Amino acid sequence: MTQRFLSHADLAALVAAHKRVIAPVRAKDDARQTDYLPIQALADAALGAALPRRSLKEYFLPPTEVLLSYRQTKEGVEIKEVPTQAQPQVILFASPCDAAALEVVDKVMDWQYRDELWFGRREATTIVGLLCSSMDSSCFCSAIGLGPDSPRGSDVLLTQVEGGYLAQVITPKGEALLAHCAATEASAAAVAQAETARKQAREKVENNAPAIPNEFGAWLEENFDHPAWKTMALRCHGCGACASVCPTCHCFDIVDEHDSSEEGVRRRNWDSCQTAKFTLQASGYNPRQSQSERFRQRIQHKFSIYPKRFGEILCTGCGRCCRVCAGGMNLPEILGGLIALAKKDQGESGQ
Amino acid sequence: MKELQELAAKLLADGAVQVVLGYEEGPRGVRPAFITDPAQAGRLVFDARCVQNLATYLNPRRKHIVQLGKPAVVVKGCDARAIAGLVRERQIARASVVVIAMRCGGVLQRAEENAALSSETTAARCAGCDAREPKLYDYILGELPPDPPVNASRAEKIALLEKMTPAQRKSFWDEELSRCIRCHACREACPMCFCVQCTAERALPQWIDPSPTLHANRAWQMMRVLHQAGRCVDCLECERACPEDIPLGLFARYIAGAVETRFGYKACDDPAVPAPLGVFSTEDGEEFIR
Repeated sequence: MTQRFLSHADLAALVAAHKRVIAPVRAKDDARQTDYLPIQALADAALGAALPRRSLKEYFLPPTEVLLSYRQTKEGVEIKEVPTQAQPQVILFASPCDAAALEVVDKVMDWQYRDELWFGRREATTIVGLLCSSMDSSCFCSAIGLGPDSPRGSDVLLTQVEGGYLAQVITPKGEALLAHCAATEASAAAVAQAETARKQAREKVENNAPAIPNEFGAWLEENFDHPAWKTMALRCHGCGACASVCPTCHCFDIVDEHDSSEEGVRRRNWDSCQTAKFTLQASGYNPRQSQSERFRQRIQHKFSIYPKRFGEILCTGCGRCCRVCAGGMNLPEILGGLIALAKKDQGESGQ
Repeated sequence: MKELQELAAKLLADGAVQVVLGYEEGPRGVRPAFITDPAQAGRLVFDARCVQNLATYLNPRRKHIVQLGKPAVVVKGCDARAIAGLVRERQIARASVVVIAMRCGGVLQRAEENAALSSETTAARCAGCDAREPKLYDYILGELPPDPPVNASRAEKIALLEKMTPAQRKSFWDEELSRCIRCHACREACPMCFCVQCTAERALPQWIDPSPTLHANRAWQMMRVLHQAGRCVDCLECERACPEDIPLGLFARYIAGAVETRFGYKACDDPAVPAPLGVFSTEDGEEFIR
């Protein structure tokens, strides 16, 4: 991994050289918050006290998008598909948990069929991550095996040092991004400074939650009917806000909407397993009758089903689900409780 | 606080209720608690961070809570209005819930904030509250604290919106509603949204497109807000639940103002007072009939 030094001016030039750059920007309605939004100049970017309120997901899987349009004619149905090629874009100062999430979701997007819209955008995007320094008590990336300095999903990972940034080039795409940039070789002092910053960042988040044990997924599967599920989600409203802000929740619903009786569009829209409608069948029967069952699904999918199928936990520990929850549900706390139950079971079976 | 904990423990121990819905200290400030064991009643807290409306958990579509048995619920005056609403609209029987009312001195904007009440930190909906001492209760606890500081931000914003031309107002709301992702979190968190099937989810006919396009988002919020006219209790669970931070409290206040002007009705905690749109009155204005 090569390490280079980028001054603020170098980075400003890099932003200016690209047509579309997305970065955290101070939220209009709340000065303490940031959102990932397009910027014109480096000065527009702002790093907040917490992670951007919403993840990068919408830049790859928009809340709604047209898949095709159709028109009924005398001869039959005319179908027009949408282009799958996307405009090139750079995402600057991506949080490592958000960058990693994209790689995690790549797995399902390339399972059974390749999602051309997702990968069209993935291929057109270069991601410049930044060592996270905005963690709070709800962050638990290190429990998932990531960390505030994780390079996963980033093409270049920046660490703030005196006078600019230390840039670790991670992929050929990252190499290409910096090829036209006046980056110089990093000094030993800058490298040492970055190393200290990374260590400090890791220490800030490591105590928030214990690491998730390897056997946890299997325990969840075996304990699908554990009585603990019944009372775990009492305060959950079933509103699905957690899924909206989650960088890894990727479920969508496909609907046809008519513009007239002859023509219309087929769209896909974000969906969430936390709502009753998600599993409601045409007969009127709902296999997930109450919120306890819907919340169990959320945990099972993220920490058992997805790992079993793809070898990856479907969570990057960003903590947004805790921050956004009106009912005060807290994922690291819930995981801690389940892991304790799993350990107790193991202790008993070992005797 | 001790009074509340002792009452909760007694109600549970006597078998008067099977669960007490109250507030507890959570990892991110105060949050809803469901106490079923009298020995756990010491977890209950009540202070200015108790922003949540726990009456929303009495909504009969929450089957996982119904199964716990008869509840007692800790309410502020504003929350008591939701209980009255559920009783008024025949969703729950008054006798099916034990109401523990707390005299309230206003709440903060966020449950995770740990600040003194000030004109900035106090929830805007507390401004001018006339329900700090609820009338709907089985038990009422605490001394009545002084009036909270007035946070005028919402009133100012509404005054600003009222001064706008229709085109300006439309562009304000279009900007806000373009962020709506139609997750319907506002509906799910609302104590008064209890329809078994929401119009937003009817497919035959499809009244509202399910996709989060601007025109459908407008239709959705218009329908939701109009359906809340004279029913909304201004607890703003909708606004707190919205993952896109859309200022839904502006709608709530605006529509409540319209109902008050038109029908002389304010959301109240007396279930015997009929909702303005739920009753026929010859006193209703009819100047629109020509």
